[in-house]
Amino acid sequence: MQGAPFADRARVDALEKVLGKPIYGADMPLPGMLHAITVPARIAKGRMTALPIESAMRVKGVVRVFTPDDFGPAPVPPAGRYAPPPPMLIWDITFRGQPVALVVAETLEAAIEAAEVIRPEFEEQPFSVLADADNGVVRDAVDDVAAGNTMAELARAAIVIDQTYTSPTQHHNTMELLSTTAVWAEGRLTVHEGTQRSSGVQHDLARALGIDPAIIEVKSAYVGGGFGQRGPTQCQTAIVARAAMILGRPVKLVTPRSQIFHVATYRPMSVHRIRLGADAEGRMVAVRHDAEQEQSRLGMDPPPDRYHDAPPRIYGIPNYLGTSTYLRLDRQNPGFMRCPHPQPALFAFESAIDEMAIALGRDPVEFRLANGATTDPLTGNPLSSRFLDECLAEGARRFGWEQRNPLPRSMTAADGTQIGWGVAAGAYPSMMVPSIASFRVSADGSARIALSGHEMGQGIRTAIAQAVLKHIDIDAERLEIAIGDTSRAPQHITVGSWGTAGAVPAAEAAARRMRARLIELLDGRNVAGNAHRQLAAVRRPYLDVEVAQTAPGQDREEALSALRRGGYAVGGPEYPGFTAMSYIAHFVEVRIEPRTRRIRVPRVVSIADCGRVISPRTARSQIYGGVVWAISATLREETEIDPRFGGYLNCDFADYVVAVNADIADIEVGLIDKPDPMANESGLKGLGEVVMAGGSAAIANAIHHATGVRVRHLPIRIEDLL
Amino acid sequence: MQPIRYIRPSTVREAIAAHASLGDGARYIAGGTTLYDLMKLNIERPTGLVDVTFIEGLETIDTSGDTLRFGANARMADVATDPIVQSQYPVLSEALSKAASQQLRNMATVGANLLQRTRCMYFRNGYGGASGGAADYPCNKRIPGSGCAAIGGLDRGQAVLGVSDACTAVSPGDWPVALVAMDARIEVAGPGGERMLPISELYPLPGETPHIEFTLEPSEIIVGIVIGKNAAGARSTYHKIRDRESFAFALASAAVALEMSGDRVNAARIALGGVATRPWRADAAEAMLIGSDLTDDLAMAAGRAAFADAVPGRSNGFKVELGARTVADAIMIAAARRPL
Repeated sequence: MQGAPFADRARVDALEKVLGKPIYGADMPLPGMLHAITVPARIAKGRMTALPIESAMRVKGVVRVFTPDDFGPAPVPPAGRYAPPPPMLIWDITFRGQPVALVVAETLEAAIEAAEVIRPEFEEQPFSVLADADNGVVRDAVDDVAAGNTMAELARAAIVIDQTYTSPTQHHNTMELLSTTAVWAEGRLTVHEGTQRSSGVQHDLARALGIDPAIIEVKSAYVGGGFGQRGPTQCQTAIVARAAMILGRPVKLVTPRSQIFHVATYRPMSVHRIRLGADAEGRMVAVRHDAEQEQSRLGMDPPPDRYHDAPPRIYGIPNYLGTSTYLRLDRQNPGFMRCPHPQPALFAFESAIDEMAIALGRDPVEFRLANGATTDPLTGNPLSSRFLDECLAEGARRFGWEQRNPLPRSMTAADGTQIGWGVAAGAYPSMMVPSIASFRVSADGSARIALSGHEMGQGIRTAIAQAVLKHIDIDAERLEIAIGDTSRAPQHITVGSWGTAGAVPAAEAAARRMRARLIELLDGRNVAGNAHRQLAAVRRPYLDVEVAQTAPGQDREEALSALRRGGYAVGGPEYPGFTAMSYIAHFVEVRIEPRTRRIRVPRVVSIADCGRVISPRTARSQIYGGVVWAISATLREETEIDPRFGGYLNCDFADYVVAVNADIADIEVGLIDKPDPMANESGLKGLGEVVMAGGSAAIANAIHHATGVRVRHLPIRIEDLL
Repeated sequence: MQPIRYIRPSTVREAIAAHASLGDGARYIAGGTTLYDLMKLNIERPTGLVDVTFIEGLETIDTSGDTLRFGANARMADVATDPIVQSQYPVLSEALSKAASQQLRNMATVGANLLQRTRCMYFRNGYGGASGGAADYPCNKRIPGSGCAAIGGLDRGQAVLGVSDACTAVSPGDWPVALVAMDARIEVAGPGGERMLPISELYPLPGETPHIEFTLEPSEIIVGIVIGKNAAGARSTYHKIRDRESFAFALASAAVALEMSGDRVNAARIALGGVATRPWRADAAEAMLIGSDLTDDLAMAAGRAAFADAVPGRSNGFKVELGARTVADAIMIAAARRPL
């Protein structure tokens, strides 16, 4: 069923991207377009008491200033998700930078000028924006995640590592700015917006605006980087849509980056205390992991108990106790940012593994191999596949790990530069979502497939093309792949590394069904040529098929119904009878300058297990991207918050320091490419998130090996090693 | 829209007259890489722009006589790659090539670069521009007397030398630091005629008046930069330590130029960037080197001497140690270069 490995294929949209042809949301050319800009609240908490707009209305070119009076009462969000605030304007201020007004003008310049003269009046209230402040933070624990009898086993353990690791607030900073372009015409609302969740936005808009979702279309053909920030419906979307409906002209808002820092989601600061016990023989026996993370006063995502998704499913450690606590503050909602939970959780856990290996005098690769796993302790079910040992072995071979002197500070270059080699493992749940795919092959040589998926640059179109072309001989050049468009197929949110697992099995199924229909149609006749020629030969202008695919164990009707309603229908990683995880091993060399202590990363080797690799080209690219981001998250990125003011101080690309080309050297990547027999019919597991998992720990472990200094917070900066 | 007068003079004299006629809201503009940025942040709100990039002859690079002379409009990228500058004055070439990005260096000019304003985040992000932050941070540079949010705030990037109770903002440039080390003189023209200004006199300490950042008189314009040729130039470097390896301002930097015979240091020029409220000449460090045989320990001692008067804040104390080590590395890098 899962066949041979896929051959390499160039990105199907590479040429058009290089030519600048794809139309992103904010680039949609529309006649009569108006330009909008939001006015941010200049307090951190309280109530807006007056919003004078007269001076703004006097700016030439201003069409209208929308205020909270233009919006009805806020709808109750389903299940409390993404609150506060609702995607509309309100008088109560719950975080600095919350939009309080929308200026719409004939030109962007007029809109900006008018927005800048609006000075609302506020009644400010005391606020708390940092969890380390002694006032105002509310601790809100959720249920524990538990297997076995952790505290008793830790008490009996021969050796226990007990350390606390901290990961900072970080922002996604996608290259494409957040934007909404809304058109109200002929009783229909069309929204062009780079989102990872078109149908979800469609249905959220229907709720916020009180209109039928059937008259709303959301189109997200290309996204200039998502990374989870474009999962939830943005603050601005319904506001802009309402402006377009009232004004009867297209309205476009491109949110300035400084405002994105303040209104969109971010990776919350999190603190992880790890207690890791091993017995006298060096078998790891128990882990207690206390996770705490920033959250808004009422927000739900990301749920802190998911910090326990990955750590228990990497090694064969039978006892696990995970506690999970929200730290509630006067901030906007955090959210999911690439490799959301494992990034900070595995920085902690895989650092602790390294500390344990050192304490036991074991080589950190050999120690990991000696603690392999076959079952998920949280469920008692088998892991569907785990080729982590293969990742570790292949990575060690390519990296030359056997040359490593295990002693810290033992590898020093002639000029005194300290060299460190570190390793860490990563894991991420392999999940799957339902998909409805409609596929047409025409006698004129064209074909089109419409299904659920969003192209954020990860290459989902290429993966879909690979899946289709594997099963049916059609003209690849004329295959249209329609994704991210609610008018073509219901769209599930594309996040959590399940994009390919949602799209590819459905695309394969559609292509197989098409081939079967074609064979039926030919009825034994031997017609030469591809599917288009065969259709022409039997005088059929086209053939249509539709398939619906769900995850193993999902209630089919329920899952497809949720998909059609823009809802959330995710299978895994705990499937009936098995748990599916993707894995990776990272090997990192760091070099620390002897005097100024600059940290460089001259080379990385990363080997991933994502089951069957569908698109080798884009899969490798995902690993490069994950490693680059791991370097950036570990050594560069931190969003800075002044507790006296709230909001974010370094809210632009100059001051929020992301890694640049000069920071990145050799990255060698590899894929195990062994199909997972249980995860799905294509044998694939997710890749986009796991590629970053454990990367921070590998770098921190390498820094320890180079210097003997164990840094337990991110980012690791020059002052940590002076 | 706020209308802006835009004037494109073809001589320095016309430029000065145009600037004077436009009054307080006038700004000279060259590459625009700083001014447009500050206009978007609402910090600069000029009512008139005098574009000096069409003034003929102002971009000339002349290294033929006993001085190096850079016309104010010479592009940073062009000076950085000038063969004489590259081979005989690496401190100048490196200070330019380690600044900003190639795209910016292609636009920005070496004269206007001397007037780049601080990157203090409270200064930049607190003024209500649509692309700025969402807070009204007190800042004595923007609004004299309003206070300084950086003091007692997030001050990892702030200065440790030359600070006052009113301001700790770092002088951001690299090029001015190299010029201070090389005792450059600035050719200035204004309504009252022309004058030469040692570059060290261009930058006042913040004191109680941090909003006064330059000693230029109204409508004065920088027309050129002059450096006396010297032997130390060949044995020089600009060493820059930052939060990433390109496209970032310095956490600490050092411009160092040496004259040596054997191991003995005969002359030393050392200036610091990223750590001070103005480009900072490190006289004490120079004095420690001159007349002695250079060793690694001496270089480190000189680095520490450069920071003897440092006044760290809450979280920028590391700059004292980092700065001293940066100076020490720069001294050893410069010393390892052999005169041609």
